[in-house]
Formats: sequence, structure tokens, C-alpha cells
Amino acid sequence: MSLLRSLGVGLRALFRKEETEQELQDELRSYMEASAGEKMRRGMSVEEARRAARLELGSTEAIKEEVRGAGWENMLETCAQDLRYALRALRKSPGFTIVAVLTLALGIGANASLFSVVNTVLLQPLPFKNPSRLMMLFEGLPQVGSPKIPFSTPDYTIVKRGQKSFEAIGAVQDKEFELSGHGEPDRIIGARVSASIFPMLGIAPVLGRFFRPEEDAPGQNVAVLSYGLWQRQYGGRPDIVGETIELDRQPYTVIGVMPRHFVFPLPGPIANFLPAALWVPMAFTPAELQGWGMRYDLSVLACLRPGVSLQQASSEGQALGAAIEAQYPRDILKDFYGARLLVTPLPWHEEVTGPVRPLLLVLMVAVGLVLLIACANVATLLVSRAAARQREIAIRKALGATRVRLLRQLLTESLLLALLGGGLGLLLALWGKDMLLALAPADIPLPQNVGFGLGVLLFAFGISCLTAILFGLAPAWHTAASKLQQSLQEGGRSRTAGRARHRLQNAFVAVEFGLSLVLLIGAGLLLRSFGKLLQTDLGFQPDHVLTMEIPLPAQAYPQASQIRNFYQRLADEIPNLPGVKAAGIADDLPLRAAVFHTLQLEGRPQVGKPPAVAETWTLGNYFQTMGIPLIAGRLFNPQDGPNSPPVVIISRGMAKKYWPGQDAIGKRLRHEEGQPWITVVGVVGDVNDGPVSRPIQSHIYIPFVQLSDALTAENVVGVARSMNLAVRTAGEPSALATAVVAKIHSLDPDIAVAEIGTMTQVISSSLAGPKFNTWLLSLFAGFALFLSAIGIYGVLAYAVTQQRHEIGIRMALGARPRHVLRFVLAWGTRLACLGAAFGIVAALALTRLMKGLLYGVRATDPLTFAGVTLLLLSAAVLASLIPARRATKVDPMVALRCE
Amino acid sequence: MPGKPADLVQGTLDMLILKTLALEPLHGYGIGLRIEQISRGVFQVNPGSLFPAFRRLERQGLVRAEWRSSENNRRAKYYALTGAGRKKLKRETQEWEAQTAAIARILAASAGEV
Repeated sequence: MSLLRSLGVGLRALFRKEETEQELQDELRSYMEASAGEKMRRGMSVEEARRAARLELGSTEAIKEEVRGAGWENMLETCAQDLRYALRALRKSPGFTIVAVLTLALGIGANASLFSVVNTVLLQPLPFKNPSRLMMLFEGLPQVGSPKIPFSTPDYTIVKRGQKSFEAIGAVQDKEFELSGHGEPDRIIGARVSASIFPMLGIAPVLGRFFRPEEDAPGQNVAVLSYGLWQRQYGGRPDIVGETIELDRQPYTVIGVMPRHFVFPLPGPIANFLPAALWVPMAFTPAELQGWGMRYDLSVLACLRPGVSLQQASSEGQALGAAIEAQYPRDILKDFYGARLLVTPLPWHEEVTGPVRPLLLVLMVAVGLVLLIACANVATLLVSRAAARQREIAIRKALGATRVRLLRQLLTESLLLALLGGGLGLLLALWGKDMLLALAPADIPLPQNVGFGLGVLLFAFGISCLTAILFGLAPAWHTAASKLQQSLQEGGRSRTAGRARHRLQNAFVAVEFGLSLVLLIGAGLLLRSFGKLLQTDLGFQPDHVLTMEIPLPAQAYPQASQIRNFYQRLADEIPNLPGVKAAGIADDLPLRAAVFHTLQLEGRPQVGKPPAVAETWTLGNYFQTMGIPLIAGRLFNPQDGPNSPPVVIISRGMAKKYWPGQDAIGKRLRHEEGQPWITVVGVVGDVNDGPVSRPIQSHIYIPFVQLSDALTAENVVGVARSMNLAVRTAGEPSALATAVVAKIHSLDPDIAVAEIGTMTQVISSSLAGPKFNTWLLSLFAGFALFLSAIGIYGVLAYAVTQQRHEIGIRMALGARPRHVLRFVLAWGTRLACLGAAFGIVAALALTRLMKGLLYGVRATDPLTFAGVTLLLLSAAVLASLIPARRATKVDPMVALRCE
Repeated sequence: MPGKPADLVQGTLDMLILKTLALEPLHGYGIGLRIEQISRGVFQVNPGSLFPAFRRLERQGLVRAEWRSSENNRRAKYYALTGAGRKKLKRETQEWEAQTAAIARILAASAGEV
């Protein structure tokens, strides 16, 4: 009640200022009149009484000031006054203001832009209905080290039928389509989705409708378009709904269009992470529903029933796992080697954010450090500035300003600086986060529509205020607390207060150096890792190799023989093109994750985990084209046909691992029991299957023509019908692309050739992720180093100016310029060493965060630590050199006379 | 006037003003004069502390003010006690009495008593 009243009166005083003032004026006048009247009654004359009354009252202005000071509204006025004063003070030293604001803007901007990404990726819930209840389900054999495997179709149907924990469940699978009927045939990424998925996500189409449950069946050719595809391919025509488009040369009816920002599947999880341009019903084929243990490539999403916990769902998962096992054919169960199959639900959000979380956290720490360094820098600037303003402060104190009042005044100045920096920083952040997202390579799953909402604004405002306190408090306290008399006496000469100031500045600079060292070490570790990645022997010769993907739609090439014939013709005819040295075909390329298969080796009883090796199907002169060396035995030749004895080529690492000290040639292996044995005919060099940072895997190569008909004509995922062509060229590989595509189109004009590129591009795209991390952290570290160098330069330059007198005396007493030089340099180096000592300790603690980002380098790599410390110290020496040289130029006569 | 007027004990001015107003509504000068008279000149209230005190009490809702004609037909701002003010005065008086009694006991204590 009285608070409300106080508020009301205060507001009235603020808004009806004149009225309130007038009332006070009237009251004071009536007081004086009453006082004079009383005195007259006691016998004074009118003149005397008035004079006495006025004397008694004292200064009416002082009283008014007191009265005004009693209300809270007065605080606001003082603030406004402080603000005006701060503005004037900052305007008076534009150099300082610009440097401080820019430093803070960069620091705050980097933080705000990264925060906007972190906010969207890690902090915001998924943009769907019931985001916290959305789970991703996996099958898994945790006991043999495979806890997360995507679902196979029969297993998914068992879980779907048997589960009770989820109110909705559905499956998703990425699928490439050839989209034709509109000019050039185009390869697009689509997805097969269960009819239950979109209602579960709670996103309605902007046009048309979504699949009905009865449309989730074979033969129901309907499709929902993404907003992007609708705009790009069909010009955003609203009458697209109901039209027929051609996918893989089959007619599909468009029934709906999804909203603009709808992204699905979300990037991040281990499978099916490619955002789709269109969606078709899952519509399992009878063959898929039969294929026990064949293909594990469905991502399963489910929404927990309200009130059901993750633990409950997990324990139900054990029962579901057992139910799946019960249905499995016996010969597949054997491959489990006694492990129990489990069904595990995991929060979808974590699956999506998992891959980027460590990187974002490391970057967040890095920009946080940059901001701290910026704060330390501005703080040293403020301390130097305080020296220049000493007289002004002393006079204000002499006129009666209290310490609190001065502190408030100085902090207002800091706050103003920080807010100016924050405002500018927000503009930088707006641009910075777009740059961040544009530069982020595709394998770092960042959403493209990062919001810049209230959260980011509040964050920027919050850190601006925090930085103001961080960099403003110590200098302000120091200034406000300095003794009046001393300040007035001290004048240009610096004694005790000067010493305290130096101590404060020294501390800031040391801290700055320490923090910079942490960042530099982080960047150094990433640079070393990246260097190691570049030096890694990839096992093939990437230069002069043109690659492209040549998919054959199932409708046009239903038979295995057709597929074989087409690729064989291609492998035969491409080498005849001018400029082509060799050509080969394979289902995957080096550095592109190969499909892993388990194997049985003849004469080796199966114990524990079966050997899992990468497997590549090749055709033509694949090894010569890629430059993979033959080490023993022979390569495939035209005699290795569909009907000749099955043969295999293995990698050197595999030969060493499974037949150590023996000749691997002539040994036999097979995929599983009941299948024919395959004879090893050759050993080739090890090839990196990617990511580059992963250790080399065992690898086998099989002639494409010896694959079974069923495997070749497989129309679900169709690995065998979307083979890669590799061409070794004499000249620039991309120059030959047109000729090669023309040749392919001379065989079949409708083929949508995809992913035309060179092996060098494959390498650089597989290194894009580490390169991005390294680049970004190096940028921050460089900025930190620059700031620290400026900091040490500023402190020493200021100290040299302040101590001209002392230096002059030393020189007058016989100090040589090199003594002076050494004195100043030693000062700078001492500070840097102090900071470095603290930085090394901090770095030892912090670099552990980045373990996951390193390759071939330990987080405590002594070489990096030593090298980077040396770099930092030399930067400190360089930055000290300019003020040191200036110190040697001091003329003793001039220095002594000006005191 | 015997000797130099004493300084008011910190915080007691508000109580004295409330007490003065409990007798009758008064204007600013009247309040100061009344305090001086009742205390027989021991307390002389400085206008510089009187006016902020009025503002403070008004803010807290302990007194309310209105413009009226004074005894010699001049307009003056009269202050009067509110209900809340009356309660506050009662509470403060009790506290004050308790404190002064305690202080008096301490001052009167002789060595044997403790």
C-alpha cells in the first residue's frame, strides 16, 4: 500500500515536476511568512523579522535539494545525470571510446552469434508437438559393442505391434529419387515415412493434406512436397496438389506441400539424417517384410504416452528385444554370439544434438575466453584513463562527491561503453551467425534457420551488463578510493597511487596473457591434428580422378543382367575417350564410409565377435584408376566372370591381421554359412574409408559381376544399382566431365548422373569438418593474441610515459639505452611469463574438453604447449619493443626539466 | 535559551513530528515552533531536516497534507496525522519508553548491583 503510494507520488514528481516544485516553493514561502509573523509578534520590526526568518531558513535551494533527495525518483535523475556526464566524458576521448567499444563489440558479438546457434541447437526444444516425449528407437546388441543399430523392417513391425509405452510410432528411411518429367532429370533426396509420423510431429501441410493410413501400402503412389522443392521446381503453383509427377519413372500424385521451415528427417542421428525434399508413404513391400536380418536401415520415431517414463519404456524395450529374438531364424541368432537383443528408446533431441554438442561447447568456452580477454583489455585502458582524470576526480571529491557517488558515476560510464559495445556486437552477431552457418560444412548438422529472438537479445544485454561490471568495477573502485590529498599532490608525478595502478594493470595484462594462452593452445592442438590429418596416408592417389554416381532406376533396369550389362559397357567404353587413362566402377569410393560385413574365414573357428570388414564391389580397372597398389597376387581380370570361381582381393592390413606371417593368397572366406567359399587372389594397399581420423579398416574387394542376382537387382536401397564411376585423366579431371556424361547419355539419355566431382574434392569435403573447427578456433585465438599484445603494449607505453622522470634520472646517472631497453623488455616478459604460467595450468584443465576433436595429438601435447607458449612470449616481447625503444629515446634533460 | 540547542537523537525527529500532529493539525513552521516550545528550547528543528521529514512521512502515508488558511488568513500547508500515523506513533512511543527506561537503568547502576 505505502509502496504503491510512494510509487504514485514519485511518478507525479517525475511527470509533473513543475507542479511539485511550485508546491514546495509555496510551502517554503508560507513557512517564512509564518516565521516572520511570529518574530514580529515578539516585537521585531518587519525588516528585522524577514531577515531573521530568511537566516533561520537558510538556503532554500539546499532544502529543496534535500527534499528531492528523499524520493526514489531522485535516483532516476541522478542516473540521467550520470549518463549525460558519461556521454560527455566518452565524447571527450574518442580514441579510447572507439577502441573500447570495438573491443567489446567483437567480444560480445562473437558470444551472441555463437549463443544464437547454441540456443537453437541445444537449448530450444525440437520444433514439433510434445518435443520432450519424442524418442528415437534403436535395436542393439550392447554386449558385442553395437548398442545402436537402426531397425530392420520385420523387427520394426514386431515392436510396432507389441509396444505399449508409445502413443504413436513410425519409421523413416532416406531414399534418393530420380525426379523427371520437368526438363533435365534430377536426383533428389526424399524419404519414405510411415503415415503416423506427420500427425505425431503435429505439423500440418500448408497445402493439401498428408498421407492417410490406408495410403501407407504398396501401389499407392502419393507424394508430399517440401516447400523448397515446390518453389524451386514448380514455381509455387497452388494447383500442384492433384498433379502427377514422375519419381524413378513412376507416376506419383502430389497430395500436399509442407510449411517453409519444416525440416525432416533432422540431421544428426546415425542413419537417415538427410533432410528430404519430398516424402512418400513407407509402404513396405512383401519382400521387405520377409527379409529377416537383411537390412537394418530404418529410423524409428515414437512419442511416449503421457505419464510413461523413459525408464519404463526402456524396460519394455527388453521384452520387445526378446520378442524379436523369438521370431528370428536360428541361423541368424548364431551371429549374435550369445548377446541379447535390446530395443532402446533415446530422446530424439539428444540424438540430433549429440554430434555437434562437443564442438559447440568448445567454441562457447573459446568465445567466453575472448570476451574475458576483451574485458581485461578495456580494464587496463580504464586504469590508464583514470590516471589522466585524476585531477578531475580529485576536484569532484573536494566539492563533496562521496565515494559511492563517484563509483556509481564511473560504473555508469562502463555500462554505457558495454551497452554501446553490446549494440554493435549484436549487429556483428547478426552477420556472424550467418557466416558461421554458411561456413559450417554439411557433416556438422546445424539448422539453417537459426532464430535471433528475445533470448539472444536478453543474452547480449546480460553479458553486456556483466562485462561492464567485470571490466569497470576494479578500475572504478581504485579511482574512487584513492586518497584526495594524494591525488591533488601527485599531479603528473606517480608515486604510491601510481604503484597501485601499475599493480592493477599488471594483473589484468597477466590474466589476459593466461587466457590467450588457453585459446592458443586449443587452436594449436587443432592445427596439429589437422596437420596430422593432411599427412595421413590415404592409400590412393587422389589427383586426376573424376568421379560421379550413375543410378539405374529399378523400373527401367529391373533385371540383374541389365544392370551388369550397363555398367560393364560403361567400364569398357569410357577408357576409349580421349584423355582418359583408366576407368573403374565401384559401389563406394575411398573416404566414403563403406558398408561393413561380417565374414567367416576358412580354418579359423569363430570365437567372440566375428571379423567385420569393409566391402567394395568393383568393375573395370578400379585399382589402377584409384592408384591403389597391388602388393601380392593379381588384380581382377575379365576371366573373373559371373560363372567362374568366386574370387576376392583383400587389403594388406587384413592379410596381416588374419593371416599373420602367412601368404594370404589362396586362403578362403565366405559371408555366412551355406554360401560358397571365395578364394583370395590378391592383396592391395590399405585405403582410408573415412572419416580420415578413423583408423584403417580391413577391406575386401569383390568383382561386381560375381554378385548374386538378388543382391544386384535389389530395389529397396539399391546400392548395386547406383554405382560410382571413377576416371583417371591425363589432364584436369573436371574438364573431362562433359565428355564422360555425354558418353553415359549416349547409352541411356534419361540417367540422372549425380555427384560429379573429383577425388580431391572428396578429400577436402571429408576434411571440411576438422578444417572448420580449426579455422574458427584459430580465428578466436588470433584475436585473443592480438588483444593481449595491444594490452601489454598499452600498459608499457603508459608506464614509460609515467616514468619518464625516473628513466631520465637513471640515464643521467649513467644508464645506457640498452639498460633501459632491457628494463622495459624484462617488465613485459615478466608479465607474459606470469600469465603463461597461469595459462598453462588453465589449459591443462580445459583442453580435456576437446578430446573428441583431436586426431593423433594428445590434449596435453607438450610440443604444442611449448611452441604456443614460445609464440605468446615472442608476441609479448615484440609488443614491448615499441615502448621500450621509446624509453631509450628519453632525453634526460627534457625529462628532468618538465617536472 | 539555556546553552546550545541539543542535536536530535537520530531517527527521533519523525516521532516528534507525529506526536506534535497528534495534538492538532499544524503547518510546517508551527510544527517546528511547537517542538521547540514543548522541549523548552532544548530542540531547535532545522528547516533543512524538517521538510525532507514531511516528505518522507507523507510518502509513508503517516501524515496527509492540505492547503488551508492559517490563523492570520494566509494560505499554509497543514499536516495532519492519518490512522497509520497514529498507530506508528503508538508503537514508536512504546519502543522509545522501553529503550529510555533501559538506558536509565544502565546509567543508574552502581557497582554493587551487577
